[in-house]
Formats: sequence, C-alpha cells, structure tokens
Amino acid sequence: MIAETPAAPSHPEAHATIAMPTAVPIAVQMAEIEDTVHATQGHLGPGWLLLLAAAAACIGIGAYSWSLIIRFGMQYTGLNRPVGWGVLITDFVFWVGIAHSGTLISAVLFLFRARFRTAVYRAAEAMTVFGVMTAGLFPIIHLGRPWYAFWILPYPNQRTLQINYRSPLVWDAFAISTYFCVSLMFLLAGLMPDAAALRDRTQGLRRRFYAVFAMGWRGTAEEWRHHGRAYLFFAAFATPLVISVHSVVSWDFAVSIVPGWHSTLFPPYFVAGAILSGVAMVITLLVPIRRALKLTAIITMKHLDLLSRLVILTSLILTFSYSTEFILALRAGHSPELETLLYRATGAFAPFFWTMVVCNCLLPMLLFFPRVRGSQAGLLFVCIFVNVGMWLERFNIVVSSLEHNRIPFDWGSYHPRLAELGITLGSFGWFFFWFLLFLRLLPSVSIAELKEETAGEHVEKNEVAHAA
Amino acid sequence: MSESGINRRFFLKLLGATGAAAGCSPLHAPEKLIPLLNPPENLVPGKPLFYRTACRACAAGCGVTARTREGRVIKLEGNPDDPISGGALCAKGQAELQTLYSPTRLRGPLVRKGSVLVPVSWPEAMQLLQESFVKLRAGPRGPEGLGLGVRLLTRCEPGSAGAVQRLFLTGLGAKAVQRVVYEPRDLAPLRAANAALFGAAELPVIDLTRARSVVSFGADFLETWLSPVELARSFMGGRGASDRARLTWVGPRLSMTSANADSWLRVGPGGELPVALALLRFLLEPANGVTGLPAEAPAILALLPQVDAASSGVSMEEIAKLGRELVARRPSALLGPGVLATGMGSGSGSGSGPGSTLGGTPDATALAAVVQLANWALGNLGTTVKLGLGSEEDAPSPPAETLALLEQARRGEISALVVHRADPVGTLPLSAGAEEALRRVPLLIYFGEQLDETAKLAHFVLPDHHALESFGDVSPRRGMVQLQQPAMTPLWDTKPASQVLLDLSAALALPGVAEKDFHELARKRSLAAAATLGFAQLESVQAQRDLLARGTAFAKTEPLPRPLRLAGVAQLFARLPTKIAAPSAQGGLSLVRFPTTLAASDPAAPGWLREIPDALTGVSWSSWAELSPAAALRLGVRDGEWISLSTSAGTAELPALINSTLHDAAVALPHDAPELRVLEGAAVQASVQVSRTGRAAALPVTGRASQEGRPLARSVPDAEAHPHPHPHPHPHEEGPGHDHPHQQPGRGAPEHESGGSLIPLHEHPNHRWAMSIDLDRCTGCQACVVACYAENNLPVVGPQAARDGRTMAWLRIQRSIEPKAAAQASLVSPSRVEETRIAVLPSLCQQCDAAPCEPVCPTYATYHTAEGLNAQVYNRCIGTRYCANNCPYDARVFNWQDHVFEEPLQLQLNPDVSARSKGVMEKCTFCVQRIRLAEHTAKDERRSVREGEVTPACVQTCPAQALVFGDSKDLAQRVSVNQRDARAYRLLEEVNTQPAIAYLARRTRGDE
Repeated sequence: MIAETPAAPSHPEAHATIAMPTAVPIAVQMAEIEDTVHATQGHLGPGWLLLLAAAAACIGIGAYSWSLIIRFGMQYTGLNRPVGWGVLITDFVFWVGIAHSGTLISAVLFLFRARFRTAVYRAAEAMTVFGVMTAGLFPIIHLGRPWYAFWILPYPNQRTLQINYRSPLVWDAFAISTYFCVSLMFLLAGLMPDAAALRDRTQGLRRRFYAVFAMGWRGTAEEWRHHGRAYLFFAAFATPLVISVHSVVSWDFAVSIVPGWHSTLFPPYFVAGAILSGVAMVITLLVPIRRALKLTAIITMKHLDLLSRLVILTSLILTFSYSTEFILALRAGHSPELETLLYRATGAFAPFFWTMVVCNCLLPMLLFFPRVRGSQAGLLFVCIFVNVGMWLERFNIVVSSLEHNRIPFDWGSYHPRLAELGITLGSFGWFFFWFLLFLRLLPSVSIAELKEETAGEHVEKNEVAHAA
Repeated sequence: MSESGINRRFFLKLLGATGAAAGCSPLHAPEKLIPLLNPPENLVPGKPLFYRTACRACAAGCGVTARTREGRVIKLEGNPDDPISGGALCAKGQAELQTLYSPTRLRGPLVRKGSVLVPVSWPEAMQLLQESFVKLRAGPRGPEGLGLGVRLLTRCEPGSAGAVQRLFLTGLGAKAVQRVVYEPRDLAPLRAANAALFGAAELPVIDLTRARSVVSFGADFLETWLSPVELARSFMGGRGASDRARLTWVGPRLSMTSANADSWLRVGPGGELPVALALLRFLLEPANGVTGLPAEAPAILALLPQVDAASSGVSMEEIAKLGRELVARRPSALLGPGVLATGMGSGSGSGSGPGSTLGGTPDATALAAVVQLANWALGNLGTTVKLGLGSEEDAPSPPAETLALLEQARRGEISALVVHRADPVGTLPLSAGAEEALRRVPLLIYFGEQLDETAKLAHFVLPDHHALESFGDVSPRRGMVQLQQPAMTPLWDTKPASQVLLDLSAALALPGVAEKDFHELARKRSLAAAATLGFAQLESVQAQRDLLARGTAFAKTEPLPRPLRLAGVAQLFARLPTKIAAPSAQGGLSLVRFPTTLAASDPAAPGWLREIPDALTGVSWSSWAELSPAAALRLGVRDGEWISLSTSAGTAELPALINSTLHDAAVALPHDAPELRVLEGAAVQASVQVSRTGRAAALPVTGRASQEGRPLARSVPDAEAHPHPHPHPHPHEEGPGHDHPHQQPGRGAPEHESGGSLIPLHEHPNHRWAMSIDLDRCTGCQACVVACYAENNLPVVGPQAARDGRTMAWLRIQRSIEPKAAAQASLVSPSRVEETRIAVLPSLCQQCDAAPCEPVCPTYATYHTAEGLNAQVYNRCIGTRYCANNCPYDARVFNWQDHVFEEPLQLQLNPDVSARSKGVMEKCTFCVQRIRLAEHTAKDERRSVREGEVTPACVQTCPAQALVFGDSKDLAQRVSVNQRDARAYRLLEEVNTQPAIAYLARRTRGDE
C-alpha cells in the first residue's frame, strides 16, 4: 500500500491541492496559498503564548535539575553500580528517533516523488531539527563531567591527545552532529523562497527577520535552478543519514557485550523504531496544528491517512524485530541473553515491557481500520501511545539489560529520580519551545512547493484542455 | 638627556628606590611543608618510612608495620618478622588507622566542673587530679583508706602499661584485686575450663599447620576467635593441596568461618554441648576401640554425664562418623566455644545474672571443658592445642569481678575509680546497671580516646595516645614481646595514660614508683624481656635500635606439660545435670550471637568497618536480626522489615534479614549490635519473642547471595583435582552449556595464541602482571578489601549511598549461599553444609587482555598498558560510564559525588594515589603505584623486578595467602604455576576477555 503510493502520482487522491473552483485564475490561487500560510501566524493567540510560557517553565525545571547534577554529581540520578545508564540515555535515543522521520519525509519521499509530502514536510523537518537539538543535549547532560564534553571531539591540542575512534560514543558525536548540520541546511534551503515571499509581504522588524532566512533571494530563474539542484543534492545527501544515524545510535548498545544489547539485529530494528516514533510524533503534532493554524485545507486527512500507513508498516517491522530477538535468544539455549530477555518480560519493569508491546505492536494495528485512520481522535490516540511505547522500549533496552548483567551478585535495580524526570520534562519543554516559536515565526507549510504543485496541476489541466 | 627629563642623578635615585622596594617585597616568606634547612631526620619527601609496632585492636597481639609518609601513618600492614601476624593483618587491625584519625577523638583533657566537662590544659588537669587525691587522702578514710577505696578497671594490658598501673595501685597501698581487667570479648569459658582441668586459667595457643581435621564448636577462628590472622594462616596454609585439613562446623548458623567448612552439623541453639559430649563419649567408650587413649580415659568416662545427642538435632551416626574421622585423621584440633556458642544453654538454671553474657555460663565452660578433654583424648594437647604458652601477664579477670566492682560502686564503697580504655557503661548489658553504679563513684578518672558512655560520666577525661603514637610493649604470649613505638607525633593534645599515672605518683610521692618517664620504663622493661628471650648484647644503642626496627622479640618456646586434674573434671561436671540435652526455648526463639569480621552494627566502629559489607549477609551500616526462612514464614516476617524482639530484659527493634543457614529455633544478632545490650540480661538463654512491626526497613545490603546457576565460584571434588598440570582441566561443575573451549591459562611464552580473535592480543614486552586467587584458601575475611580502601584512598560513602548501591569498593567479596536444590531455596533450610553451596569470590578488575572497557571509552581514559594493566587516567575521564556498563565483571566504580574525608581522616590518604573528583570512573589497577615503585627501584639498581617485590595491598595483607601476584611472563613464578594449575579457570571465559586473574577452584571433599 505504502510502497505504491509514492510511485503513483497519477492517482488523483494522492494529490495535495486546495479545493478551488477551476474558474479562479492561477495567480489568485497562488496568492491564496501565500495568504493562508501567512495568516497561520495570526491564528496563534494567547493560547500559544501560554504554551510557550509552559515550555519555557519546563526548560527552567530541566535546567535546574541539571544544575543539581552538575553541582553535586550524578548522585541526583537513580543510577548505581550495575546500572550506569538510565532515563537520560533513554531520552537521548527517544529524541534521536523523533528526529528521524523529518528527514525521511522530506528527503526520502522527495526523491521518491511522493507528492503527499509537500503539505507536511516543513513541519516534519522543523521537528527533525529541534529533535536533534534536544537529542544532542543528552550525551552532554549524562556525562559525569559535562564541562569536558568537548573532549569527545577531535580538536587539535597541544598535548596531541587523540580520541578513540573505536568508541561508538565518538561515532555518535559524528553521526549526530552531521545529521544536525545536514537537516538544518535542508530546512534552511527549503525555507529560502518562502522566507523571501514573506519578506516581501511584511514591514519593519519582521521583514528584517525574514530577510535573514531569505538570504537575499530574488526569485530569478538562475536562483531557482540552483535551488532546485541544491535541494536535490541535500535530499540525496540526507537519505543515507536516515539509516546511518539510528544505526550508529544502536551501535552504542550493539557494540557492547551486555546481554540484551549485544545483537546484530539492532541497527535495522532501531531504524524501524525510529521511523515509527518519528512518524507518530509527526501525526501527533500535525493533528492539533492543522486545526490551530486553520490549515485543514492544505494538510488534509488524506495526508494523515498516508502517514498512518507508514506507522502500520514500521510497527510490523518492529513486531518482527521483537520476535526475532526472543527467537535468537531461545536458539542460544540457557544463556545470559535469554535470562535478560525473560527478566525484561517478567522482572521489575515487566509492566513497562507489556505496555510497550501493547503500544508498539497492537495499538498501531487499529490503524488498519479506515474508521480509526480517518478520525483525528483515533489517530491522535494511537500515535500518542506509540510515542509512549517507543520511550518505554528504549527504557527497557537500556535499563533492564544493565540490571541483569553477567554477575548475578551485582544484579540491581534502577529507579529514576526527580532530577532525571525533571530533565526529561525539560527536554520536552526545550523541543516544544522551539517548535512553538517556529509555528509563530516561520511558514509551517512550504509555500513555494505548494505553488509549484498548483502550477503543475494548472499546466497539466491546460494541456488536457488543449489536447481536447 | 634633559629632553626626557631624566638625568643621571635621578636615574640613580630611581634605581636605588626600586631596588630597596624589591628587597622589601610585601609577599610573606613561603611556607614549606618540610623545611630544607634542618629537615627532620630520615624524612625524604616522597619516600615512605616504615615503623614496626604492635596492634592493639584485639588481644591477639599481632605485630604491625606502619607505613608513614611525610610524618603521617598512611597504612598498616603485618610485621613479616612476627610469628603471629606473619606479615598479614586483619580488617580490624588495618582499621586502627581510622581510630587514630577518628574525627571524634578526644583532643585534650576534660575536667568536670559542675555538671559539664570543660576543656582544660594538661597542667591544670594534673593539678586538679592531684588535689582530688590529696582530698581523698584527707577524707574520712584517711591515708589508709585511700588505697582501699581506689580501684582500677582496665582493658588487658600485658606489658608496661599494666605494670605502671600495678605500680600506681601498690604505691597507693591497694591490693592486687583492686585492679580488674575487663575484656568483654575474652574467651572466659575456655579460660575457666583450662583452670578446672589443668590448673591454669589460660588460653591455649593453637597451631593448625599440622592439623588434618578441625572441628569447631562455634569457634569463629577465621574471624575473631583467639588469634584469627595466625589461625587463618596456619589452617589455610595446607589448603589447595589434595590432602587438606577438613573442617567440621558445629553450630546453629553458618558464619564466615563455617563457609570454609567441609561439613556442618547443624545443631539447635545450645546444641553444641550435647554433640561435643556425645563425641567425647564416643571417643572414650572402650567399645569403639579408639586406640592411643590416655590411661585416665575410663576414669574420665565415668565422670561424664549422660547425654541426649538427638536433642541437638544431630543423629548419633553423624557424631560417630565425625569421631571416626578424628581418630583416623590425626593430629586434629577441636576448637571452641566461640561467641556463637558462649552465653548459651542454662540447663542447670545457674546461668543467671548479667555476667553470663560475658561468657561465664557453666554450660559454656562445660562445653570448653568437653572440647579440651576431647583434644586431650586425641592427643592434640601439645601438638595442635598448646597449653602453657598463654601470656603470663594480665589475664582478664573473670566477668564476675567486673560485676562485683559495679556492685561495690553501687554501695558507695569506691572512693575513686580509674578506668583505662574500658567502657563498661557502653558494652555491658543495660541490666548490669553500670551507668547508675558509676554515677555513685565520687572520683571517676577516664583514660581513653573517645568520649564514650563511660567517659561521659567521668570527672577527669584524660585522652591517651593512640597505640600508633606511643611507646610500649605487649607480651601476647609466653616467650614473646612485641615492641611498640610511635610511628608519628601525636595528633592532639594527648598524653600516655601510663605517663599520667607516673606523674601523679610522683606528685603524690607514692612509695615504690622510681621511674619518672614511661618511655624509659617501657624501654628498660622490653629490653629486659628481650634479654630473657636470648637476645644478648642489647647494651649498644644500635642493637636496641635494631630490635625496635624488628618490632618483635621471641624465642622458640615449648608448651608446658599440663597434667589433667581428675578432681577438677569431677568438680566441673558435678555442677551439671546428670543428663545433658539441648535446651528448648519455651514459646519463642533462642537468641544466638554471631561474630563478624567487620563491624557493621557497631556505631562506634570506624567507617571502613561499618561500610564494607558483611561477608555472608552483605549488610553494612546497621545491626540486624536474622531469622530462618521457616521461622520467618511462621511469624509472617518479610525480609527487610522492622521486627520487634523482646526478652525478659527488654525490647528492641531491628531490621529483619532472612538467613537460610540459620536454625529454625534461633534468632541471630551480630555480637556488636547495640540492641544486644537491651535484650541480654537476667537470663541468657531467654526465649525471644519476635513480632512484626509492619514497618519496612531500608537495610543497606550489598549484592545478592546467588550465582543463578552460573559457574562463577567453582569447586572441584577432591578426587578429580589432580595435583599436576593437566592439559584439559574440567573445573566446571555445571554440565553442558558452559562447556567452552578452555583457553590454556598460562599464556606466558607464546604470547599470541590469539584466542580465535581477529584482532591480535596485546604485546607485553616486559611484564604481564597477573594474579591467582585460590578459592580453597580464601576465607572471606575482607582484610583485602580494607587494605584496598586504605591503599587507594577509597572514600566511605555512608548508609544512604550504600543503600543506593554506590559504595566505592574496587575489590569486593561476592558471596553466594544457595541450597543445591535451588527450587525450594526459600523454604527449606539445609541441614548440612554439603547441601548448601556457599562460596565467596573475591572480585576485582580482571585486567583483561581483550578488555571490553577499553574500546568503548571515547577519550582513551582507559587503555591497555604495555604491562597488561587496564589503566584508568582519571584526568582524561569525562564520565560516560560506558566502560562500567560494558565490563562483564562490574569491576568499575563511578564517583557519584565528590567525597569528603572528614578532618583529620584526610591525613590517612596515600599521596601516591591521585584523588578522584565527582563524575570520574575509577578502578583497581593492581596497585599500579606499588608496581611503579618497584620498577623504579629495580631500574635504579640496574636489574629487573624480582618476584615478590611487587605486592598489591590486597595480596600483601591476605592472612590465608589466597592471593598470589606476579609476572605471568616468567613461567617460574608462583603466579604462573598457579595459572597452569589443574584447578585454574578464568571468570566468564565465554566472553573471551582473556583476564589476567586465574581463579583456582575450591576443593570439596571427594569421599562422599
């Protein structure tokens, strides 16, 4: 289903268009698109301000929690002798996962010419950038000595100290920073013509603000040609990153020899999980946004429907991965791996495990029903729980494996403490703070690409008319 | 020149002024830690100085070596020249350092003014003290009464300190009885039994080197009993070999000592006496045909009471089997009773009175007598159990004397009481009424280090030097004197108690006290003692110095023949009922006390002893009460909740701990639990009522006592273990599934056999430091853990961090106590040790060749050295904790916080080991600072490091010599030989980490 969608641009349902009487001249249609997108910012009233304030407050809580850890050490976490990683690493993997689908939607679907992406990709891309910005904080936050975080980078120094290129954490640093740079460039490149359009419609401070993002865009044919090439190039460059980033993150675990982590299955399993959580997050955000920004005409239920099919696919891949993990462990016989997996399913965090199974494997199956897929409430319900489930999945992998390492004498337990939960809350605050600002300040739907599409349809229609 | 405004004259003025100003720099003179002009003698910064002295932590009297740096003691180790310690030192002995640097130590004399103790200067204190005595002399009793009314309560001081006390009392005109030697941990029943049987109230000296069979009746001889370091060495010395000494444990609970037993006769509380008696009867019974019995055997048999052995829960067949083993495997040694067995059974009803908790019950004495008689019958006296070697000085007084002293105090008959390092108020049961009694003493003079319960009542609190700050001498046994010398200048404004007594004697012009200076007195006395031991030519100063540098003087001393006194035997057994049976606690559980090598329960103990978890329960920082699973089930008590214990003496609340090795009829408390003082009282064998309180307790317990069937601490049956190296050893007990291709351990010569790995192993051009750990020898005493704390500046983190699993130990003793049939683990108590798999596993960084911690560190904070160590560069660590996650041995320790060493504990820190801040990972590196020291010394002398030159702190202090360290590249070294032993295996071979530590599987007796 999902595979054929991008390959079938002629399918009339797959087109994103604004329902317009054909009599309206094309120039007016273009202006309407610009107006609709520009007007979105006006729809954000006191509610938006309240949300922004709440997000800022959450950042404050997170910052205070981290300050406790910086000042008094990691004793403010629930970590201990066997469990060296906990909620903070869970958050890291979770946010990298969230950051995943943006690039998938904007780059991979762009290359596949899946036209339904046009309406949703800007928001997804912004989500990606802010997701990476959030995720990138955690490797620093979780350090015992965060003030030396830069030691993980290969900077020239007088002592000629090298970093250890064998360490997955170094790979992480490269992968995350590369991904951040590329997705930021990609976002900015796509934004350029839109920012120019808005620049030309506004005055004063706003105009200067958009001017920065427009980067002197004038709309000449030469510029469009360069832009088109650059955009394609970035899309091609970002596509392998979709696979690599989360594969590298999974190597943090797979490269180690901890039972429950040490598995060749991890890279594809993590990528699928990341896409699942990313797409679910996109849907979770789009459903309220399209209403709040009055974009229901641009981001239609059809778009959400197609995204939800992606959720079904990745959920099935994930279910397959879960089963494979157990089957491989069972084949190994009586082994620490199997004991760790059994502990995951029956131990202290068994409720988490089974909640995860319900959220990630069973609930998405509801989306097979068009009625669920077609209702905003149904979508929101499933996708929020998928996000919960995906967070729990990472938590289960990180914590339960460490709790049951190879020496039973040291088997322990981990209970997150307030500071860790505060930082988690802070990370949501941080993410939404930027996202809310984005909604207010930048076009959350790509004006240029919508126009391009509308124009394309216009040309198509004209051609049909001429032929007739 | 004039254009610039400066002429020659002005220039010279300026020059002079600036020169003068520079000369009068406002910076104050730099302070030097060690002045370069006139530095203290022998003090070279960075070089340790060693002083030999004596350990005063218990009555064993080990000699110790104090390592000092820049004038401060930083580590205690055994004195290798001393036959008692043999170079090793137990956990408590090492923790003496923390008593020296205790933050709560008294820092100057205190004198009671009104109701409060006020700090005063020494001259003032001495003045007031003298006035008090002058007043006493002028009092109603007059000069005659002064001597009579003054009494002295002291800890055992078999040396000059005791001599000064006696001089002082004699000078006052007192009689010898007025000095009471108070030792709450003294083995009084054994002393009393020896007095009755052999006419000498002494403790035997036990030598287990030749013993082939050892039976312990609750005697924790590897923990606290008699002389644990010496006994561990002599008992464990023969272990590891195929014909090793067998240990049978008789008692209601498995203690650490019994974890090393081969079989366990699981008796009920107080069941030791019936078993011992039945055993003795079996040996003496002519029908059993035991050969080589002394001639008096029939006469003794006639005197013995009848016995109901079955009442103890052990069948007669088992006792007979033990008897046959003892007859076959001579010489043997029967040891007992210990703390566990003392204070038991009051079948005769005469065991009442608080004194019984001091170990004076007739039953305990009878048990000691039966044990000694069995030794006598088996011909062990003089070979393994040596009499006539006990200290000739200062035998602890019978417990009744302490109680009599308190009674006198209560009646107001004592006009002045000198207390020397004894805390009757804080250690006697509350029912003894020590506090109330001592309040009535009009003049209470206290010598000690801490403001303990007794000191709080005193009128004069006169702080004594710590043993490491003072001169002295100790004669722990006949034919031996340990010389004590200060290893550093005193920390605080303290004064040796003996010097105070000498000064006071001089001020009061007491007759017979000639010597004014205690140092001089101790020196003369110890030299005289050494001279009698055959140390001639001690006149020269150099000879005296050499003796002091040796720290000990002893001569080969033969035990004295002690003929058995039939009359004494008759008298002793006459007090017992005619038929002995194990007591039954009516309607409750019996209180059992058990010893601990550390002191988790003792609030006054130093931090190391409180924080390092108990070897068999894992508890730290708290006292606790143990129940058997069946008893807990019956009472509805869950593990780790507060329970209320009540006896006729009082009620106390303790956290419960379920111990599957405890007898169902017992409730067990560690012997230093303060709650025992409440619970013990009128009658010892009081049944204890246990009830739930319903409140959950957060008992800090480290680790889980289970291996979950994984082959970590392995054992091999005796028959299978071959003494010669064997190409394919099978030390695995467990069946298939763990049957991995065995890596031949001795990877010395062909360095790269790659072990099936794509990546070549490391080159070790010079050394490959390695260790072997013999599980057959390791007792679990934790001396190595304390040594590691001391050597490597490990912080004490406190009870909350211990609960959170954040203790900082680099070396830990991992325990596992599992019934062999693991299914019914929680409900069925095993009845014999064979049915319980009990093992201790010293666990430290394995210094892997293919270390999982190394590749994951992003900053190279951990890396592989050319000598095979997994080094950790603290300064380069950013705290990702990935290495700890990836370590399959959980050997890495993270600094969860910045650690504070409370003043003046920081003086103990080893300057050779860097401090670690919060957020940094740390770990064992085989004491790399010691390796470097040895390598540098060797380099200076243009040679390579020799075997035995490097000993990590844990290896150095191991009393059982279970740990062996060396260079595995040299195939001749002991460690290499051990690594190729048939019993050798590596921990978690399946992860192919190529560890540098080989464990030698424990042997289990193979005849059953």
